[in-house]
Amino acid sequence: MMEQTKKRGIAKRYARYAPLFLMMLPGLLYLVLNNYLPMFGLIIAFKDVNFAKGILGSDWIGFSNFEYLFKTRDAFIITRNTLLYNGGFIVINLVVAVGIAILLNEVKNKFMARFYQSVVLLPYLISMVIVSYLVYAVLSIETGFMNNTVLPMLGLGDVSWYSESKYWPYILNLVHVWKSAGFLCVVYLAAIIGIDQEYYEAATLDGATKWQQIKAITLPLISPVITMMTLLAIGRIFYSDFGLFYQVPMDAGALSDTTNVIDTYVYRGLMQLGDIGMSSAAGLYQSIVGFVLVLLSNFVVRKINKDNALF
Amino acid sequence: MRKRIGWFSMLLALCLVLGACGSNNPNNGNAGNGQGNSVPDSTNTASSGNEKPYELTVAFVTFGNTPADIAQVQEEISKLAKEKINATVKLLPIAIGSWNQQMNLMLTSNEKLDLIVTGSSATFGYGPQVAKGQLLPLNDLIEKYGEGIKTAVGEEFMNASNIGGSIYGVPSIRDLAVNYGLLIRKDIADKYSIDLAGMKTLDDLEAAMKIIKAGEPDTAVIAPGAAGQSIVDYLMGDIDRLGDTFGVLQNNGSELKVVNWYETTQYAELVKRVRSWYNAGYILKDAATNKESIGDLIKGQRTLAYVANLKPGIESQESRLTGTEIVRANLTEPFAKTETVTNIMWGIPRNSSNPERAMQFLNLMYTDKDVINLFDWGIEGKHYVKTDTDNVIKYPDGVDATSSGYNLNMGWLFGNQFLSHTFEGDDPDIWNKLNEFNQSAVKSKALGFTFDTAPVKTEFAAVVNVLNQNKMGLETGTLDPEKTLPEFITKLKAAGIEKIIAEKQKQLDAWASNK
Amino acid sequence: MNNESRVWQWAGHFIMIVVAIACILPFVLLLVSSITDEKTIIQNGYSFFPSKFSGTAYVYLWNQSEQILRAYGITILVTLIGTTVSLAITSLLAYPLSRRDIPHHNKLAFFVFFTLLFNGGLVPTYLIYTQYLDIKNTLWALIIPGLLMNGFNVLLMRTFFKTSIPVPVLESAYIDGAGEFRTFRSIVLPLSLPIMATIGLFQTIGYWNDWFNGLVYLNDPKLFSIQNILNRILTDIQFLTNGSMSTNASQGLAALPSATVRMAIAVIGVLPILIAYPFFQKYFVKGITIGAVKG
Repeated sequence: MMEQTKKRGIAKRYARYAPLFLMMLPGLLYLVLNNYLPMFGLIIAFKDVNFAKGILGSDWIGFSNFEYLFKTRDAFIITRNTLLYNGGFIVINLVVAVGIAILLNEVKNKFMARFYQSVVLLPYLISMVIVSYLVYAVLSIETGFMNNTVLPMLGLGDVSWYSESKYWPYILNLVHVWKSAGFLCVVYLAAIIGIDQEYYEAATLDGATKWQQIKAITLPLISPVITMMTLLAIGRIFYSDFGLFYQVPMDAGALSDTTNVIDTYVYRGLMQLGDIGMSSAAGLYQSIVGFVLVLLSNFVVRKINKDNALF
Repeated sequence: MRKRIGWFSMLLALCLVLGACGSNNPNNGNAGNGQGNSVPDSTNTASSGNEKPYELTVAFVTFGNTPADIAQVQEEISKLAKEKINATVKLLPIAIGSWNQQMNLMLTSNEKLDLIVTGSSATFGYGPQVAKGQLLPLNDLIEKYGEGIKTAVGEEFMNASNIGGSIYGVPSIRDLAVNYGLLIRKDIADKYSIDLAGMKTLDDLEAAMKIIKAGEPDTAVIAPGAAGQSIVDYLMGDIDRLGDTFGVLQNNGSELKVVNWYETTQYAELVKRVRSWYNAGYILKDAATNKESIGDLIKGQRTLAYVANLKPGIESQESRLTGTEIVRANLTEPFAKTETVTNIMWGIPRNSSNPERAMQFLNLMYTDKDVINLFDWGIEGKHYVKTDTDNVIKYPDGVDATSSGYNLNMGWLFGNQFLSHTFEGDDPDIWNKLNEFNQSAVKSKALGFTFDTAPVKTEFAAVVNVLNQNKMGLETGTLDPEKTLPEFITKLKAAGIEKIIAEKQKQLDAWASNK
Repeated sequence: MNNESRVWQWAGHFIMIVVAIACILPFVLLLVSSITDEKTIIQNGYSFFPSKFSGTAYVYLWNQSEQILRAYGITILVTLIGTTVSLAITSLLAYPLSRRDIPHHNKLAFFVFFTLLFNGGLVPTYLIYTQYLDIKNTLWALIIPGLLMNGFNVLLMRTFFKTSIPVPVLESAYIDGAGEFRTFRSIVLPLSLPIMATIGLFQTIGYWNDWFNGLVYLNDPKLFSIQNILNRILTDIQFLTNGSMSTNASQGLAALPSATVRMAIAVIGVLPILIAYPFFQKYFVKGITIGAVKG
């Protein structure tokens, strides 16, 4: 008897939410088609693929497709670079994008506000290859803006930018924040705009300064978005923007100390080998590390504020 | 949690089904082979039957835009092919930049392809394609249907693509050997009375550069012949790289002894010399990272000459590219090794449901003047007209290189270039000279050996990365070899170059004993 | 206006102008390069004040106008269809996920999140799309694979729904007898215009800038979008200048457009997005409050 009412209860509960499940259906189906079905490809990482035998029929070779990621001196450098850059990007992006979003929200002049909003998005629209030309225009040894104009003005000698690796952490961070901050700031701006104006009106009446309002209202209210963006960025911490690390330094070997990351290492290493087993292995490795990190950070977030957690 | 597991196992089951389908497809292809065999075994009488002609999909690489009139050319070729082997063709041009990606996927997913371009470079990936079982062995097909190919290419070059006893690709007939040398603006060579014919050694080259630099202090004298290549790449004319420079044969491959190129005294001396050139200002300053084409560098006066791969007729080709007259000096003799032959080949993928027809058509591409000229120059009267001289053609009136509807100009790709017309302005005797060049070339003892990287792929990926970090800097003179070279060698060893060399020696010995 | 807010205004403008200049200058360089004389670029590099201007790049594009216009048309069509469908299915998935009362909402969120990290790789994806859906060399190839919806947008939207739509409003709608679809249309959507505009903008940019699907699924140049054309030129040039293939192949370079043309294509590829942007900005309005919806 008890069982039955419980069952009926569940059925009723589902019935109530049936329309909601129906709503989700197209999206979920797309994820199955576009993301989950192809995941059978993950087994490629453990196979010596031979198409004469088919993907499934190919020999299992355990973890030997993964070895090249670890059995080298470069393993430490590429892992370090990937982590440091992405860690840096997460922090810098957050500070710059949130900062710009808050400022954009403060600008009262409507025309200027829209102008700024459009302009900060510009860099995001230019392809990385073109960006690499622009960076080259600044840094070229013979014809670059730095060597021809800036450094002589400061009374300094030429720098051969594409063979001095020590400058590149700054250059890459700069290019990255320049390219992506505008895009991210749109997200935060949307969040700030969504905040109920009554909060600010009340705060102003209480005599709170702008700075206090930002600290006490804006930041806490957009913190769910900040948390989510950060969690997702952490999930991709072992991936890197290939164009940024490959095209922008012009594939200059001398810079590899500070520009080689997991993705570029894999690309270079496999260009000639053309081994899809090894490239799948790299992807799987990156995914799993990101996955574990997100689970951990999501766990921490849950402890602090259940609502902000991803799942 | 249990639910999730249930879900995943369902997914897995679905994947297995899908995967099974995926791997079933090649079998369908094999069933097709069976059908193919029932076609009468003759190259000549095929058209007599009332059978529906088989459509061959022929994938080849293009640069820049696809010609506007390609459909018409395809139709003309189909007419000939239908008459001769009862087949039609569907041309599938693919841009060079997308080739690697698209071809990989098409081969993997068993899309219809009957003839494709392949080759030893990373872009074409002949070795990996064979290793992954994507190409069919051609020996039997050539025996049956490829008599003309065999005679045209010749035994020795035919065997260059041999992997594990079978050949999977047929080289196109073009320059199958290489020599290295200097290409220089004619006005500069004249101005400083450089004796190009007498320039034979690096010392001669150095002396010439010194003279030129003294007169032209503001520009570099030489640059590498292509972006992404180093100066040393063009000065190692007597080295058989055996595919990848990790373990090479010295002295034109006269002895099957694999050595670590980067540890040889020859290499040390070369990079030292190049460094001194760089310091003297002879070499383009940003040669290590330059991304401009050599044509642009010459046009923009960034350099006056360059070291490059040579072949007969290179001067007129390069003069067109650089927009100024170019003359040459040979620094090495022509040398043929596996990679110079297998660089560009034609293969039959396992996707083909009728490899026999594909081979018959390939045979036409090596024997039939009309088919070849359609591929190379388009339709007579529309894209070219004959001149009074035998075998020399020109554009029809009112048509030029930019307005022509078919201007691929890739005779070196489509089979037997020696049977094609020559263009007005080029040397009409060029094919004889090119043939002479190929035949007279010194042949490496390892010609026909292709290294299988699979047993050492872990080390290979690591060594490639080490190479990438140091090669361009060292070999363009940007980095000081005194300091960098010893580090470089240590890093190569740490990455496992010695294991690669040992493996290569082992494979080479096994190959030699089977030969 | 009090003093404090005046200081904020000035500081805000000052910083934003600096930021704006940093964003515009490179674009100006791009624009100037596209009208610089080719030889001048090779000789002196890119410059804001080239010694010689030339319109040849745009003349070249004009001569190709048939191809370029067609590519534009395809890009616009694909972007419109893609963005619309994408907004629909993204919001329809994100809204239920944002409801804390729906059974298994965490598991479902995990289902979405998982796709952000793990993927089977290009080869299996390609197999599914070409062998089971047969989209190769069709316009669908530019719309469906990878772009139509992604977990990132879904999760982002979900977070917004969670924070900006008060539960009591939904509850009272339910009590009033409004169906879920009606609630969604008449309460949820009007309240979330900024995030809809944001995701719409992202999708528009995503479709507009995409060249990868074209590279993978198309070999018929008639279906190329504007970014496909640009990307094809750029990659072809990279392959050819790297003379690693064959001396013969380098002849192909003669057929490829010059540096200035590349810049010009980049310019005409970016401009329309800038023109479309104000459309989205319209929805970036402050003060959409519950009251506004109810009233």
